[in-house]
Amino acid sequence: MVKEEKIKFVDGKGITRIETVPDQQKLDRHKDLEYYKDILYQCGKCGTCRTGYQEEGWFRVCPSGEFGKFEAYYLGGKNLLSWAVTSNRLDWTENLANIFYQCSVCLACTQQCQIPEIHYYAGEWLMAMREKAVQKGLGPMPEQKQYTDHVGKEFNPYMEKHKDRTNWITSNIKQSQDAKLAYFVGCTTSYREQKIAINTAEILNSLQVDFKILKEEYCCGSPVYMTGQTEKAKQIAETNVNIFKNEGIEKIITSCAGCYRTLKETYPKKFGLDHGIEILHLPEFILEKLNNNEVKFNNNVNMNITYHDPCHIGRHMGIFEPPREVLKNIPGINLMEMPRNKQNAWCCGSGGGVRSAFKDLSNFAANERIEEAKETTAEAIVSCCPFCLNQFKANIKDGEIKTFDLSELINKAIKS
Amino acid sequence: MNNGEIIAELEKIVGDRYVSDEPEIQYLYHYDFITAEPEGKCDIAIMPETAEEVQEIVKIANKHKIPIVPWVSGINFGSIATPRKGGIVVDLRRMNHVLEVNEDDMYAVVEGGITWADFKGYFDKYHPDFRIGVTFSPPGTGVVPSCLAYGMWDLGMIGGTGAEFTNGLEVVLPTGELIRAGSCSLTDYWYGRQPLPDISGLFIGWEGTTGIVTKAAIKIWPKLPYRTDFLPFATRVEDGVPMLLKLSKAGLGIVDLLMTNMGWAQSLQCFDQKSVAIDPVSLGLPDFIGLITTEAYTEEQHKAQCDAIKKICREYNIEPLTADVQTRNFPKKMRGVLGHIFPVTGGQMPIQFWGCWNFARGGGGEWIGCYNTTRNIIKYYQISREICLKYGKSPQYYCRIMFGGHYCVTRTNVNFNKNDPEDIRKTRQILKEIHDAVQQLEGTIMYKPPKWVVQHYKDKTLPETNNLIERIKKFLDPNNIMNPGQGIGDD
Repeated sequence: MVKEEKIKFVDGKGITRIETVPDQQKLDRHKDLEYYKDILYQCGKCGTCRTGYQEEGWFRVCPSGEFGKFEAYYLGGKNLLSWAVTSNRLDWTENLANIFYQCSVCLACTQQCQIPEIHYYAGEWLMAMREKAVQKGLGPMPEQKQYTDHVGKEFNPYMEKHKDRTNWITSNIKQSQDAKLAYFVGCTTSYREQKIAINTAEILNSLQVDFKILKEEYCCGSPVYMTGQTEKAKQIAETNVNIFKNEGIEKIITSCAGCYRTLKETYPKKFGLDHGIEILHLPEFILEKLNNNEVKFNNNVNMNITYHDPCHIGRHMGIFEPPREVLKNIPGINLMEMPRNKQNAWCCGSGGGVRSAFKDLSNFAANERIEEAKETTAEAIVSCCPFCLNQFKANIKDGEIKTFDLSELINKAIKS
Repeated sequence: MNNGEIIAELEKIVGDRYVSDEPEIQYLYHYDFITAEPEGKCDIAIMPETAEEVQEIVKIANKHKIPIVPWVSGINFGSIATPRKGGIVVDLRRMNHVLEVNEDDMYAVVEGGITWADFKGYFDKYHPDFRIGVTFSPPGTGVVPSCLAYGMWDLGMIGGTGAEFTNGLEVVLPTGELIRAGSCSLTDYWYGRQPLPDISGLFIGWEGTTGIVTKAAIKIWPKLPYRTDFLPFATRVEDGVPMLLKLSKAGLGIVDLLMTNMGWAQSLQCFDQKSVAIDPVSLGLPDFIGLITTEAYTEEQHKAQCDAIKKICREYNIEPLTADVQTRNFPKKMRGVLGHIFPVTGGQMPIQFWGCWNFARGGGGEWIGCYNTTRNIIKYYQISREICLKYGKSPQYYCRIMFGGHYCVTRTNVNFNKNDPEDIRKTRQILKEIHDAVQQLEGTIMYKPPKWVVQHYKDKTLPETNNLIERIKKFLDPNNIMNPGQGIGDD
């Protein structure tokens, strides 16, 4: 405020905005490393990828780099290491693979880089490097291999029994077996954050939406795909798509950011499985209903909250506003943004296989985010991803701040 | 060198997490990934957190007589942080804090590894009424190395080079002792280098060969309430330069005064190869783009300053359009960085120099950048333009008037495709030709010089002066461990 009174000229928002850059080279997505290798040399490891440049402030954005510290852990280092191995300047080693796996692939770095090809496509070669590491027998990490094996046997990465997947379903939840709309629950919600499943199902019941839980729901494949195991993930995807077809599904609602991204983006665009099913994340679905006046919030949920953008719906899929719009419509909710939000949000540190294989990095990222949330003075961190929620719960100490999934607040407000 | 034994000693200082001799970690220190200079070799990389840890590292390097290279981002156009003789790279990135801000005496004490992004981010958040000078270099580059290597920024017209913005230093000597230079050597205040013998000069301009700077005090500046950025165009560089020189001697609250040619401006648009013109002048585009930034405390003062600036511009038949008006007229395709380095058009420096500036996105670039007498501005441009065009490279020229017009910077950049060995070879040839040609202009001295330029200066310098420089270097660094193979003191 002092600044505004005294300073008559207004500072700009940040460094050059990417949208002003013309003529970027149009590339395909989801290709292999060979396809991208002639772009990688453009990086000069200038360090721009380490920081976000916003009106609210300039701040570090990369959990991997801030934890690992050496240049190799930032995008610049990863670009040039990718260049080095694709141009035979460096050999593939276990350590190299390890560096690439110590990253949640949150893509906050790519948002900052102003070299168009890196800005738009670096996420592709970060994944392509993992894919190559698997082909070379250097990936995934042992913990990731272990959960992948379990996905092969019991269709979830949590070492749980498949038969227990739907244990959360209570007798008051009404399903319609003829429904064309499925609620795809996902593994984390089914086994670790069952409250999200219950809230989501109750919301759908409250809105009188005909839906069903699939008789056979398997892991979407995200934790397998994100660790470079493309072929295995594709097999999982094929199984799921067959199930969707056999059950006549036309629309799927997800409450998991990872499932959403995988079903909507990875299945058709990486695996070529054009299932033709409309995929909606819960906040998108609710917002659609709000816009059609089909949702009535009956209860006041008095709470100051801050919203954490899950990477898999945010930067990966561009869903930033629907959850915020829904929150703003809930009576009594006061949304207090963290400085690092939307495209520049700090990752919770659970994705990309990091939480299973690199606990220290994962906890570092979560604690950094929790501290940032606390600085807003909000009472709770709200997100719409069970993996983020579970990560916050595991790292919040002594009730320093509460954490909720958006579905819980919606359900509270909607219940008559 | 037995890396294992040395690493074990280093790990005792900083912990095993911050020492590495892994090839994948080393690789990123071998080379600056920008210039056409050859690769070096890093044997061990280490990241200390305190000056005491730096001292211990230096003592180990002395004990084993192995080279040691101070490093923050490794990006400079002379490749002067590239380890030329192997050894330990001391990466200072964990020492990236602002330690103190004195708004009364207007300085900030920072650690040696702070980056421009961290520095500016800190000031925007905690001291919004003050500003630091910021550079065209990327936000991830180091503040202190820039000061020590005579970098300059957007307050150059009032404050001179980064060296002149430096009030004092804390340095670990090549023999491990910790010293301070400036008022901080005997008081808690870091307000200046006066009135004691100015031993800061033992570390400024030496390319990291005489010590590792662990703290520095940098002058900060008040944000005055009124500011205008003029962005006047003229047909030829020769038309605009006399106007700049007149403005430099007219006062008028000018904090930044510079020009680029259209080649440089074009490079700032981040076009791809098919959208660039080797010689934009041949297309009828203006070749002089000036930048005049003036600031004032009151509205009346500001109006008077702007009126006087406009009057001088018009004396040279140059229309003094402001940056927002001028960039509004740009075709959409040209609204790249140039339109966004000014607050009034929504930008903020530092910019990602590399992403925006790597002409046709070849990923490589190097300069012949010199401090100079203002008498050479036009001649320097004409010489370098001719050589660039001869080799089919777009001439990219930049000149900043420094310290109230007392001297200037003249700089020609050459971009290249660093994935193309032939282009790298050609670039080296162009750089050498430009260097040799502009050296014929008396008063031209390259800053951040790569190794091949250093010898040229040693040949030109008075033998007694060379002798003194070498004696100082030997006195400070008896084992010649500090960034060997770089700097003017290297034998």
